[in-house]
Amino acid sequence: MLDGLKERIFKAAKIHQSIGIIVPMNNYSDLSEAMFSYMLDDNADIWIYLMITKSYDTMMKRFNGLAEHKNIKFIDCISRAAGITRNDKGCVYIDSPVMLEKMIIEIMHIFHECKPDVSKYLILDSISALMIYNNPETVKEFFQHLINKSRAENMHSISIVLEEELNEYMNRIIFLNDKIIKVKESFI
Amino acid sequence: MKKKLPIVLYLVITYHVPTTQKKGNRRDMQETEVRSSGQVEKCTIGIEELDTQLNGGIPTGSTVLVVGSSGSGKTTLCMQYLINGAKKGERGVFFTITEPLFKLTKNIEGFKFYDKKLVETGMVNLIDLRIISERLGLDAEKYTVEDASALLDVLRDIAEELDVKRLVMDSITALCYRLQTREMIRDFIFKLGTSLAAMKCTTLLTSEVPPRTFKYSQYEIEEFISDGIIFLGDVERRGDLIRTLQIVKMRGTSHSRTKFAMNISTDRGIELLPLLKSE
Repeated sequence: MLDGLKERIFKAAKIHQSIGIIVPMNNYSDLSEAMFSYMLDDNADIWIYLMITKSYDTMMKRFNGLAEHKNIKFIDCISRAAGITRNDKGCVYIDSPVMLEKMIIEIMHIFHECKPDVSKYLILDSISALMIYNNPETVKEFFQHLINKSRAENMHSISIVLEEELNEYMNRIIFLNDKIIKVKESFI
Repeated sequence: MKKKLPIVLYLVITYHVPTTQKKGNRRDMQETEVRSSGQVEKCTIGIEELDTQLNGGIPTGSTVLVVGSSGSGKTTLCMQYLINGAKKGERGVFFTITEPLFKLTKNIEGFKFYDKKLVETGMVNLIDLRIISERLGLDAEKYTVEDASALLDVLRDIAEELDVKRLVMDSITALCYRLQTREMIRDFIFKLGTSLAAMKCTTLLTSEVPPRTFKYSQYEIEEFISDGIIFLGDVERRGDLIRTLQIVKMRGTSHSRTKFAMNISTDRGIELLPLLKSE
């Protein structure tokens, strides 16, 4: 059912270094499902899921067997701030979603640990959520750093923005990507 | 009457100093780095990003002030510097005045970069300076000119006897507190730095300052005698504190003055990334 969405996103992600996805709130869970479905089927590439919208625990409960996939790594930026102190092997916990530099350090560390010949993908979920915790200018600067680092490290990035929360800042950020995909009902 | 201790006694009060350690048998193990830019010998800290910002490392023989408030990462940075040096064959010594050795080792044991064998084999020597002072019969609170001179001799003797290339004093603030005048502080640091530089020993002195201050030292003398200043601070972002590192001064090398966000993890020690500027 979500094949159309999956195909559009991952075809674009393979071709372009960075893609931005603008998704209506109603379709956020479809997008999430499409992405996880793709990642779970893909054992060849390395994936990092930067979680600012939902916690690792939530994702684990929603997608069975996620923890067994060694090629998918999670960076959870919201659990610690919410007072959740669990530790999991497949997840790096960051104390607070304002620690943007630490996010980049952890992303780069995970990718540097990988074999150089594998394709590397980063999913930033989401820029809208980052904006809740940070100054918009800081998020923009963070994103610029991230895009530049991604290019330097030959890593692909997929960043999500909620359509309803698009504002002047988010527009400026999302359009830094090489390709923008607007999720529509017709894709799904 | 102050006693001058034989060197063997200094060694007894160190932590895990092996009996096989003799001066002169380890020069071959040393790795000094001569950089093409002006042929300045550099001493690498072993933290990649920091060495890059220092254009290859600290000029060998320099005395560098590592400034920061409590919890800023001064001791971790210094310990990582010593351990990384020892791993490539450069012997080091860590003089502590602020905390007992058992506490220091307990804290540092949690880091993956820490290798107990380096301490056991004497590549890294941990010495409690308070015990040395006590055995020298020095006043615990205030040092006279003679006391300071005796202590200086001991420090030089230890550095020479162990043939160390890296020395850490944690903290110079606690030591300066015992020196009674600004002149004594200036004289002590100057003489210590000069003798160690002659031994090609690169020294890190930790300097304690209150949080969020633009001071590099408690007595405002230390920074003028030092060759370099590495400032560890923090910035507040929406209530959370982010550790920062900035190289303020480093004689003998070009260096960046950018402020970095500093991450300390038990797995990887200190890591740096340029601090985001927009606030």
